Amino acid sequence: MKLGQVSAAKLATMAFIVATVVVTAGCGAFGGDQNTFNPAGDVADRQLDLFILVLIPAIIVLIGVAVAMVYILVRFRRREGDGIPKQVEGNNTLEIAWTIAPAVLLLAIAVPTVDAVIDLGGKAGEDALHVRVVAQQWNWRFDYLDPEYADEDGRPFRTVDLYIPVDREVGVELESLDVIHSFWIPKLAGKQDVMPGRANTLKFNATETGVFLGQCAEFCGIGHAIMRFKTTALEPAQFEACLEAIAVEGEDPDPPAACVP
Amino acid sequence: MAGVMIERPAPTVGEALRRMRQQGETYQGVWSWLTTIDHKRIGLMYGATAMFFFLVGGIEALIIRLQLARPGLTLVDPDQYNRLFTMHGTTMIFLVVMPLSAAFFNLVIPLMIGARDVAFPRLNAFSYWTFLFGGMLMSASFFTGNPAGSFFEGHLGAPDGGWFGYAPLTLNQFSPGTGIDFWAFGLLILGVASMAGGFNFIVTIVNMRAPGMTLFRMPVFVWMTLVTSFLIIFAMPIITVALFQLLFDRLFGANFFNVGAGGTPLLWQHMFWLFGHPEVYILILPAMGIISEILPTFSRKPLFGYPFVVFSGIAIAFMSWGVWAHHMYTVGLGSAANAAFGVSTLLIGVPTGIKIFNWLATLWGGSISFKTPLLFALGFIAMFTIGGLTGVMHSMVPSDYQQQDTYFVVAHFHQVLIGGALFGLFAGVYYWFPKFSGKFMNEKLGQLHFWAMFIGFNVTFQPMMILGFLGMIRRTSTYEAGLGYGLWNMMSTAGAFLIAFSIAVFLINVVVSMRSKEDAGADPWDGRTLEWAIPSPPPVYNFAKIPQVTELDAHWAKKYVQNEAGELVPAMAGGANGDDNDSSGHDIHLPSPSIIPLIASAGLPLLASGFIYWDNPWMLPLIPVGAVITLVGVFAWALEPATE
Repeated sequence: MKLGQVSAAKLATMAFIVATVVVTAGCGAFGGDQNTFNPAGDVADRQLDLFILVLIPAIIVLIGVAVAMVYILVRFRRREGDGIPKQVEGNNTLEIAWTIAPAVLLLAIAVPTVDAVIDLGGKAGEDALHVRVVAQQWNWRFDYLDPEYADEDGRPFRTVDLYIPVDREVGVELESLDVIHSFWIPKLAGKQDVMPGRANTLKFNATETGVFLGQCAEFCGIGHAIMRFKTTALEPAQFEACLEAIAVEGEDPDPPAACVP
Repeated sequence: MAGVMIERPAPTVGEALRRMRQQGETYQGVWSWLTTIDHKRIGLMYGATAMFFFLVGGIEALIIRLQLARPGLTLVDPDQYNRLFTMHGTTMIFLVVMPLSAAFFNLVIPLMIGARDVAFPRLNAFSYWTFLFGGMLMSASFFTGNPAGSFFEGHLGAPDGGWFGYAPLTLNQFSPGTGIDFWAFGLLILGVASMAGGFNFIVTIVNMRAPGMTLFRMPVFVWMTLVTSFLIIFAMPIITVALFQLLFDRLFGANFFNVGAGGTPLLWQHMFWLFGHPEVYILILPAMGIISEILPTFSRKPLFGYPFVVFSGIAIAFMSWGVWAHHMYTVGLGSAANAAFGVSTLLIGVPTGIKIFNWLATLWGGSISFKTPLLFALGFIAMFTIGGLTGVMHSMVPSDYQQQDTYFVVAHFHQVLIGGALFGLFAGVYYWFPKFSGKFMNEKLGQLHFWAMFIGFNVTFQPMMILGFLGMIRRTSTYEAGLGYGLWNMMSTAGAFLIAFSIAVFLINVVVSMRSKEDAGADPWDGRTLEWAIPSPPPVYNFAKIPQVTELDAHWAKKYVQNEAGELVPAMAGGANGDDNDSSGHDIHLPSPSIIPLIASAGLPLLASGFIYWDNPWMLPLIPVGAVITLVGVFAWALEPATE
């Protein structure tokens, strides 16, 4: 009787684990302005696709292991009068099978991984909007490097939140004035660290207009939690108007009306 | 000095045993613990100390969880929060999981290989005391205050750089005060303890196995201890060098990591993770070894695919040196490096999978008894499978760009370190408790402990995966409302308290069980390995007669023989125990207790304190004082006769 109870509890726990994973998989349904399951840019979209690609086999493997384990535990639980079981030491065919099968599966996953690494790496094209991101404890600044945004002395236009045109590639150069930070807009693209003394870059785009939250992702001291910024993706014409309005009105305390998507 | 000693010329074995038993009874009191070089006592001290630090690290975790229960709470301020999570991580890794593993190395390895002690008993004592002093030094930092004020004003002095202490955040400019110095010196001292232990167990396992115990007759736990010890002796020097560089930067104005003077923060990351990834396997391989002992015992079958389990452990250890940069995908190493480390990380899933399949196959066809040790071992398999699979997800480099530094990573490594390492270690506690106390742990409380911890664990850490997907960063001292984090964080906090409850049940169980009158006997689980061949608790000398090993599962082979029908039946009487009065065999020779290892260790934290406060003329003399104490200890050690 006692053993039966244990198995039932085990089953319930396994069901819980499976349910957890299913909930996890479906969590694109939950709201949240930093939800990586609800991307608004091509890079984040590709990263999500890749994640789903590994999530599905992972769930299948987990369910397989869990079901096998529960089955084994129920079937081979010790009963009254059990003798000593056959002392099986191994089986080479099985060993080879469960060495090769995961290796093949993992290498199959490796192909799209490497493919995406190469695609997402590299610098943004000539047509992209070029922005320098300057991070320091605990704020961000954004310099628009393309010459049309520079003032008469050639200094780039600067904002405290990021404004980008929708459907256009954005290439950022990341610069830190002190410690390591990490530049991350969850709905647009995975993060890239901002390293002092190192010129990292990241390229991404927004495929819809809107305000997307950004966040420093590398622990950087007591202000880490509040080292946030907004990214506003606007139609190209409105983007130009927005920067012009900021030049006149500034961003403080609220960005100009022209910058509201 | 009271203790175990044999006069020369050697008495007969019967005489020696009688004398040993008498001395065993008088072998008590505080002094006997301070001077002990008995691997079993050192193992118990390792275990008890690790449990103490486990409570400390657990309280830190509960404070962290309370702070994050709802958006925008201010239970602790960001500075306190940073120090708490830094110490939580550092404590749990270096002062809990590593020493708990060391406790099992000490308690079990000599018994499993049929030896009377480790190869270097005094070095073993030195290793424990050094660990204790290193842990105390690091923990003392809490009370020192920081430049903002004293401890009594709520300003903690603990380190605030995170457990991997990324420069330049750890340099003076960004972390003034002494927290990082305590952290770095603490880790250096703990490294000495780990190195001493690592060498000791390598030599012990290589040289001190009972006759007939070839390498491939060693229990898997012995194998995993050997592999772990090699990882320790190769990994620790790397972090040692990195810590020296950090301390030179902080104390003497060197510029290893100072960008302004041409240093490079990336150097720290490479060095730290070149140590840090093997470290992950230092934490998990011993637990894998433990459950590889428990599954066969409780299913009454040999481990399925023994050589494959052994070689996959060795393979994991080798591969662990080639995956460190998967902690660094987002630092900008470039596509080629990221792709290479992504693939190497994927491949480490293969030997890990082999282990899981072999464990399940061990259970298949067995006669499975659901005692607490087995429950924890099964919990290990279930949780470690999730940990392994989420690990595979991290090797998908581009999708890891999204997950890096989020709560998904936090969920993943707790899945491995609690669901894996800690479940395995608790399995070991329940499994070997009867061997070292002579009593069973209470089974009902044990089952309650397991289920509370298992459910609590899942309620705490599975929501963190969702938090990661929702973009919640790790190490954030609070978060804004409206991002969808509140519910999951509240769930996680509730789960953490369920885990805390389960640990309370465990502690009560230890006390209740120690007072129990029931005698567990020498071989309560029908064990397969040599430690079950001797009485519980084991006598000081372990084996009255060094066993002769003829196959794997040496103890099992003595207990059961095949009858004419080819079925296993219990062997005739006298198979397992009762060798005590056998007068053939070796003379029993044990080294004397010694206080010297403790003295040699005691100098180290003094030396470190002198350097930490070396701008203070009152503290500066601690440097020569500490150095002299340690030097005197080392010389006295060399000159002290090993046996009186």
